[in-house]
Amino acid sequence: MSSLDPFVVEVIRHGLSAAAEEMSLVMTRSARSPLLREGGDLSSAITDAEGGLVGQGRDIPIHLGAMAFTVRELLKACPAADMREGDAIIYNVGALGGNHLNDVKVVRPVFVDGRLVAFALSLAHWPDVGGTWPGSYLAQAVDTFQEAMRIPPVPIASASGVNRPVLDFILANVRDPVACEGDLMAQLAATRAAERRIRELCAQHGTQLFVDTLSRLHDLSEAEMRAAIQELPDGVYEGEDFLDDGGPDGAPARIHVRIEIRGDEALFDLSGSSDRVPNFCNTTPFIARSAVAYAARIMSGREMQQNAGALRPLTIITRPGSILEPGWNAAVAAGNHETSMRVVDAIFRAMEPVIPERLSAGGPATSGLMAFAEPRPDQSWRMLYEVHGGGEGARHDRDGVPATRVHLTNTSNTPAEVIEANYAIRIERQAIRRDAGGRGQFRGGDGVIRSYRVLAPSMWLTTCVERTRVSPFGLQGGEPGKPYVITLQRNGATEQLSGKANLLLQQDDVVTLESCGGGGYGPYGG
Amino acid sequence: MSNPSRHWPADRIEEITTLQQRTWDIGTDIGGTFTDIIAVHAGTNETRIAKVPSRPDAPVRAMLEALAAVGLAAPDVRRFVHGTTRVTNALVEERLPRVALVATAGFEDVLEIGRYRRQELYRLDVPPKLPPLVPPAYCFGVKERLDHTGAVLEPLAESEIQRLLAWLGANDIQSVAICLLHAYANPAHEKLLAERLAAIVPHVCVSHEINPEAREYERASSTVFNAAAMPIAVEYLSELEKALPLGAGLQVFHSAGAMVPVPVVMRRPLVMAMSGPAAGVSASARIARDLGRPRVLTFDMGGTTTDVCLIIDGAAEMTDTRMIGGRPLRQPMLAVHSIGAGGGSIVRLGPGGLTVGPQSAGSVPGPACYGRGGEQPTITDANAVLGYLDPEARLGDTIQLDVDAARRAIAPIAAALKLGVEETALGILKVANAAMARALRRVTVERGVDGRDCTLLAFGGGGPMHATGLADMYGLNEIIVPAASSAFSALGCLTADFSFLQQRTVRMPLHGFPASVFAERIDELVQEATTPLIANGVARQDIVVEHVALMRYAAQSDALPVPFAMPLDTGMLETDFHARHHELFGYATGEPCVIEALRVQAVKASSTPFSRPDVGRPPVASRRRSCIFAGATAVPTAILPRETLAGVVTGPAIIEDAWSTVVVAPGWQARADDMGNLYLTRSAA
Repeated sequence: MSSLDPFVVEVIRHGLSAAAEEMSLVMTRSARSPLLREGGDLSSAITDAEGGLVGQGRDIPIHLGAMAFTVRELLKACPAADMREGDAIIYNVGALGGNHLNDVKVVRPVFVDGRLVAFALSLAHWPDVGGTWPGSYLAQAVDTFQEAMRIPPVPIASASGVNRPVLDFILANVRDPVACEGDLMAQLAATRAAERRIRELCAQHGTQLFVDTLSRLHDLSEAEMRAAIQELPDGVYEGEDFLDDGGPDGAPARIHVRIEIRGDEALFDLSGSSDRVPNFCNTTPFIARSAVAYAARIMSGREMQQNAGALRPLTIITRPGSILEPGWNAAVAAGNHETSMRVVDAIFRAMEPVIPERLSAGGPATSGLMAFAEPRPDQSWRMLYEVHGGGEGARHDRDGVPATRVHLTNTSNTPAEVIEANYAIRIERQAIRRDAGGRGQFRGGDGVIRSYRVLAPSMWLTTCVERTRVSPFGLQGGEPGKPYVITLQRNGATEQLSGKANLLLQQDDVVTLESCGGGGYGPYGG
Repeated sequence: MSNPSRHWPADRIEEITTLQQRTWDIGTDIGGTFTDIIAVHAGTNETRIAKVPSRPDAPVRAMLEALAAVGLAAPDVRRFVHGTTRVTNALVEERLPRVALVATAGFEDVLEIGRYRRQELYRLDVPPKLPPLVPPAYCFGVKERLDHTGAVLEPLAESEIQRLLAWLGANDIQSVAICLLHAYANPAHEKLLAERLAAIVPHVCVSHEINPEAREYERASSTVFNAAAMPIAVEYLSELEKALPLGAGLQVFHSAGAMVPVPVVMRRPLVMAMSGPAAGVSASARIARDLGRPRVLTFDMGGTTTDVCLIIDGAAEMTDTRMIGGRPLRQPMLAVHSIGAGGGSIVRLGPGGLTVGPQSAGSVPGPACYGRGGEQPTITDANAVLGYLDPEARLGDTIQLDVDAARRAIAPIAAALKLGVEETALGILKVANAAMARALRRVTVERGVDGRDCTLLAFGGGGPMHATGLADMYGLNEIIVPAASSAFSALGCLTADFSFLQQRTVRMPLHGFPASVFAERIDELVQEATTPLIANGVARQDIVVEHVALMRYAAQSDALPVPFAMPLDTGMLETDFHARHHELFGYATGEPCVIEALRVQAVKASSTPFSRPDVGRPPVASRRRSCIFAGATAVPTAILPRETLAGVVTGPAIIEDAWSTVVVAPGWQARADDMGNLYLTRSAA
């Protein structure tokens, strides 16, 4: 292994990144759902033959982190020996390195001269996967069966083409089968593109050298991560943060972390977090790991390839029965992007005394999701998935930036002109929410305001927003940012909506979302 | 365009030409470091090229100096076409005049909100996005509202106009960008505001004219870019007009790959944004047509960036959006893909491996081998260590090559890798070429072609030096280093077509719109695209009009360009769209499709002939130098003068002239044609 030409390793690394970027390009350019084509809620990855992540696009960090487990867990259920050239497998169940049922994965094994060398993995957030509520987010779901259709690993394509019965079965269980089929075709096309590129890399460098290089890439990232941990002072650090509710009697649910830094290794024990919650904010241990991996990389302050090797120096513990390991039948739709963010926040709070200059104060660590579902006369549904950023938390040397995304998500808003042309909604206003940022030596960024007027006879609304009760925290004495506020104006009256709600809207209702400001850094006036 | 005195009829130009014996056509490319110039004599086709240092503070003076460098003065010039990075640099460096944004009330913060996304996923130290180009204090909302069909929901009242005029009067605003919601569907309110503002603000631009397409943030950003560039462009171009009073003979190179007359550019300076790179691509398209190469990848490697573009059947690919300094600029442009790796890019070895760029040594201090205090290893230093650069040459008359300094800069990396300095230098080139290959991959993938079928057209300072290495890595079999490769963008300015392009969102379902409405839209666009040409002396019958529909499935958002002829054959357009979608994405469905936008380009074909360029320097003498191509062993390598190259040269060899170095690696051979183009192909053995 040590004889590997270091330059060839870099050349292949470029090739893998290019292939993953090409996958995402194929997806955004040819997918149907606005959430994918405008919002970019999708990710692409390439793994080695054992499922270890080796290449990824510049996509959504929470996906990319979870994808480190997606193929690895799949291989435990579906042995590689049963896979054939041309196969593609589709699944969304949480137990197989999953996160929530909306994120549907298509995995294609890549063979070169009959030898399995890699997997191409396309993940896309489907705007609807069936279930109780259009959009597949049910705030008070008691189990996953109320949320959406569960797809175990099944072959969606083989060398002879698309597996029509499986496709029909899936399409029969979603609310927008036409868009869904287009999205799925785009996912298949994306994995085929990666397959071509991987074969080219093997043809150019030799298959054995390619395979050896993948393993070398893990070693390099492991070395980089170990060097980063070595820089941190040894010790035990504890931190916690809270979700708005879900605890006993509706109290905030707790996420707690105990970090042990020892030499070039780190242990993250999340056992002190709350028990399984009676709503959709539970999540899978894979998401907890993904959040820890993100935080570790951020704290390193280094450029490194996010692959399986970077995880080796990290030990991550979750407690069975807790919100982070709730069992296979728990509702998990929101935990993917809400609870995961709180894991990052808890880690930041723990490390605040040691490396405050590498951290940011609390920010819009939530998806800020408002999903509008409009029933059409032909019984089809139009889904508008709105996701909102807010004010970034301040840092030791600068103010937070307004209206942006932080940490594990990076999806976009949908332009007002696109919304009005495609949905029975008028955007009444979109503005910066001035003075939402927390004060401090440096100020948190401001949030945004967007108002939606319903023009259709009825519309089904889902809110999935955290930081409505627990404000984004300040660092080093900075003040917290203002929390999210969602209101409904109906017939002249205004009421505040919960951040976790499913409700029916009427014509001329106006829903207004005000997103949070970021926390400040350092004492104000100090 | 509004000022008729600017339109110089063609016969007037003829008159001047005859009177003053103006017989030279000039192309120039004003880059950050050098201004390149190429001059072609209208009668004899004599062709001269030169390079002079750029003067960012006095660009017009630098241009006159460049003229002098090819032995000419202003009265000799008949036509003067230039590409310039002046506008782009001003936009990127934010040296901008005070601009105001006028938006629909309730949407004034459009620039500050943007699209939320951050550029760096895993870094907290860099801000996730830049502050808006117009600060909130200079964003003004007027009460009015349209819907997406263009229907007026709330009229624009006179009292609102008065309120705006009062506000502008109270603030010192040089330039105003107007971007109202859904103005692409109905420009009435924007037009009304522009008329009323014209009297009190020097520069006004409206979004339906600059970028008549949906998505308010991207349209507002583009309009603001244009408004910010207007004062700069008008001042600069006016000065240029004084120095070179050529009327319609004074032209600027357009980002979409054609020449446009100065009056048009003063209204829409944004068209200059990618002027320089577009000119290089345009010259490439001409060569591709002249030499009959159906698929060409351009490879323009400079000091800090490398630009690549795909040319199919003599036409460069187009794109709609580009980020300028982190903000979107949306207009039809040549699809030039830039990466932050060039000769000056710094090489770094970390625990995670070896990387090249994006940090650059710039022109000061520059690569270590320039001997101006640079200590960090760069790609150019690797080339110097391997013997590819002439140690005797004085680059730009000022820089003496210091190979020992290059070795010293690379030595620490070599020691860490336990390799020799030469092997390390070879490795650095491999990694640099991998970054370049990724850029080539990107542009071919977007078009769905296999890049290995392409000819690589290498130019710029570094292109001809890296071409064989890149071709080996990417699997390309033919490289062309064009004559005038060192001043290729300047040549492109001269040989490009005279053309103008107009695009508008229409969003029509393919089936079910009246043919008359479609024909009407096309007529309007043809009118808009041809008027600037006709106004500048081009006869209508010499203009060729090309139509492109930007099409998508109803549920998609990205539209694919599909050319069509008038009168429209809907069935054929649909078939062509399905074929294109299949070619790109590997599938097509029977879903309904939509024409998102229509694009019309008016072209007056160019036929500027030119001959083998004279670089104004004596040819280098044939000799030998030790160069390294593989392992650690130096091989004696023939150094040949490009001007007198004859027969087939088998690699290893290095072909040089005053401004360029072409590396012919082992396994490759080179030959020249009468024009001075070099063809590199794989050796038979």
